[in-house]
Amino acid sequence: MDTVGGEVDSAMLTARLKLERRRASSSPFVLDVSIEIPPGFSILFGPSGAGKSTVLDCIAGLVRPDGGSITAGSEVLFDSESRVNCPPQARRVAYVFQTLALFPHMSVEENVAYGLNGLPQAERSARVEELLSAFRVEKLRARRPLEISGGERQRIALARSLVTQPRVLLLDEPLTGLDAELKAAIVDDLRAWNAAHGIPILYVTHTRDEVDALGERVIAMDHGRVVSQGTPLEVLEAPRRKRLAQAAGFENMLSGTIVDLREADGVMRVRLSESSCEIEVPLGHAKTGDRVHIAIRAGDILLATVKPEGLSARNVIEGRIVSMEARGTLIRLRVDCGVEFIVHLTPGATQSLELSAGKRVWLVLKTHSCHLVEE
Amino acid sequence: MTALILSLKLAFCVSAILLAGGMPLAYWLAYSNWRGKFLLEAVVALPLVLPPTVLGFYVLVAMGPHGPLGTLWQTLFGHGLAFTFEGLVLASVLYSLPFAVQPLIASFESVDRKLLDASAVLGAGRLRTFWRVILPLSIPGVVTALVLSFAHTMGEFGVVLMVGGNLAGITRTVSIDIYDHVQSLEYAEANRMALVLLAISFAVLTMVYAINRQVGRQMGRRLWTPWAAK
Amino acid sequence: MLRLAVMTLALLFAGTASAQEIRVAAAADLQFAMQDVAAQFEKRTGTKVNVTYGSSGNFFSQIQNGAPFDLFFSADVDYPRKLEAAGLAEPGTLYKYAVGRIVIWTPADSKVDVTRDGWKSLLDPSVQKISIANPEHAPYGRAAVAAMQKAGIYEQVKAKLVYGENISQAAQFVQSGNAQAGIVAMSLAVSPGMKEGKRWEIPADLHPPIEQGAIVLTSAKNKEPARAFLEFVKGEAGRVTLARYGFTFPVPRALAP
Repeated sequence: MDTVGGEVDSAMLTARLKLERRRASSSPFVLDVSIEIPPGFSILFGPSGAGKSTVLDCIAGLVRPDGGSITAGSEVLFDSESRVNCPPQARRVAYVFQTLALFPHMSVEENVAYGLNGLPQAERSARVEELLSAFRVEKLRARRPLEISGGERQRIALARSLVTQPRVLLLDEPLTGLDAELKAAIVDDLRAWNAAHGIPILYVTHTRDEVDALGERVIAMDHGRVVSQGTPLEVLEAPRRKRLAQAAGFENMLSGTIVDLREADGVMRVRLSESSCEIEVPLGHAKTGDRVHIAIRAGDILLATVKPEGLSARNVIEGRIVSMEARGTLIRLRVDCGVEFIVHLTPGATQSLELSAGKRVWLVLKTHSCHLVEE
Repeated sequence: MTALILSLKLAFCVSAILLAGGMPLAYWLAYSNWRGKFLLEAVVALPLVLPPTVLGFYVLVAMGPHGPLGTLWQTLFGHGLAFTFEGLVLASVLYSLPFAVQPLIASFESVDRKLLDASAVLGAGRLRTFWRVILPLSIPGVVTALVLSFAHTMGEFGVVLMVGGNLAGITRTVSIDIYDHVQSLEYAEANRMALVLLAISFAVLTMVYAINRQVGRQMGRRLWTPWAAK
Repeated sequence: MLRLAVMTLALLFAGTASAQEIRVAAAADLQFAMQDVAAQFEKRTGTKVNVTYGSSGNFFSQIQNGAPFDLFFSADVDYPRKLEAAGLAEPGTLYKYAVGRIVIWTPADSKVDVTRDGWKSLLDPSVQKISIANPEHAPYGRAAVAAMQKAGIYEQVKAKLVYGENISQAAQFVQSGNAQAGIVAMSLAVSPGMKEGKRWEIPADLHPPIEQGAIVLTSAKNKEPARAFLEFVKGEAGRVTLARYGFTFPVPRALAP
């Protein structure tokens, strides 16, 4: 199987992976996923330790799963039942690591040309040129990786991995540490390249912003399993897992016990832990007495200095401001209602309401701003 | 003087053999995941703690007519292995083994594993990865291994004493010669030879450290030294 | 209770104070003979004898540089003479305690028969290496070369010679089989590890006598017990033991240095 080819199967990547690794500290790590990645960008999202990098390592052939199969188009890369295990050299899977792993002792040009070993000189130079200009780093060809800045290094890492015309591209958080503008520019170049080649690209990240920026398909993972799949909105606006919610920016994570189910109204009444505070959340599959976890965005909470009346919102909770803190463009308030809530307001709002620590306020929460999450 | 030339010849042969044979061994020890690896590591490190005379003694027994090395050599060449230059080379290779292998292992291990992964994913097999990635990034370790084997063999005494038989031009190395002169109370001669040996060793070592600085500046890494253990 | 403890401690210390110890530097060829003599002396007097074996030349250098020995039994009378001249020996203690003998020795399973053929066995092609002590500084090595030259055989076997650092190493080379034959000290050839081999006594008139001399050193810490040991070696028990290991003794007129 040659490592550098002409035509690329612009078809699906499927991976069914089962893996178990014993860990000294705690229970074993179990990976059990089944995913299909069509041509285009797919994001693999989840908190650290979810197993995202392990999935990439398996697809690339650097880690051998205990069971399952991996196919790229019509080519079987791994199948535990028929004992097929293609070595990474032969898979034509490109992989850009988080640390980029550029060869420090070679020039940029040599780095990019590394994967083209079998080709005649002329074609090698041509392809290297093509990729260097696609990612706009021609001027850097004679430099060493240590001499160039971040941003440029990422481009070179991408150029190096794509010069072999792979059938799949795997990216493990390659853009961490870059500012938003730089990231956007690199992503644009990558999209442009993929417009011409149309291969599945699997992009791993744990930051919310990158999901929004790249957003085609999102696969959310946690504890070694796929938790949800779909568009960014579907997966992140309604996270079902607590850790996922935390990663996706829900500042309030509360736990409580169900005290009442009102099916006709479509709500459940929950008493928040160790307090008399009770709120109404959307009806879920549970019974009275069950413990639940609720995630609420700080930005979804309204604040009033007088007790509001005549509102559609079901949850009006009295409390006292504990502290106020400026955080970038908004003010972060901690409000004690028996249970502490984090609320985000604009500086204008806090000023016009003349808010200060110790002041008595009322918080308003819509039922549907309260998301039920699993542990 | 013949003794000095003999010592130099011995040091060159031993260093060359240790480099050629040491690299595959070091590669395996650096990258293998075999559970029994620690046993082999201990065996390789033995000459560091074993007194050279003990090592020499066991090599002598092994070279004898009833020992494994001796019988093999006898069938191949029709004469014994002890008291020959080849016998010295063999004993010295064993004695200096850790001095060559350990710097190589340290160097190989310090190569970022991700670079090896990247090389594999880009289509390079193990040999190509070794040649183009591991080895260039391990030059300091290779130089250290070479120089340490050389210097260690130049100064070797105990092992040569045990298996050499003190034959002029064949096994009488400069360290044995100096010892002989002391024994015969020819202190002036002994002094002279010792100074020459000291000068050569010093020259070699300064060269090592000069290279160390040079390469270190280029790549931001330093040579391995025995006392700067990981 | 406390009194008992103190008394026990006092007894212990008294005990260690009275047990004396002397340190002896002995030539390599005395390896077995000296052990025997020392053991007898210890049993008789309770003085512990601590012996270090090595090459006489080595000891000579070390003693010149302050090595802490009480007695020096050299394989060569020259070294003790030199030490006396340098003022490092107790005057009047220089004594030629034995005359060494050399033999040609082969392992029992050797292809040649030294007991029958003597020198001629060294010429046999199956004898590829002959070990002797280094003639540059070992008395037994010098004697071996002198004997070979006088027997007219030196030129023919010169190329086969290998040199041990001292007579013990020469014996070890041939005993381990790495050399097929060796010229070693009689005292070693009759020792437990080698007496099963074949040996041929080299006629004493073929080489200058190996006169072995001993002295008490000025640096000795325990001079009285050291002198006592030397007297023991000179005496009946000592001589009988040495004779058992093949040593002979200088004629009476050589007793006075």
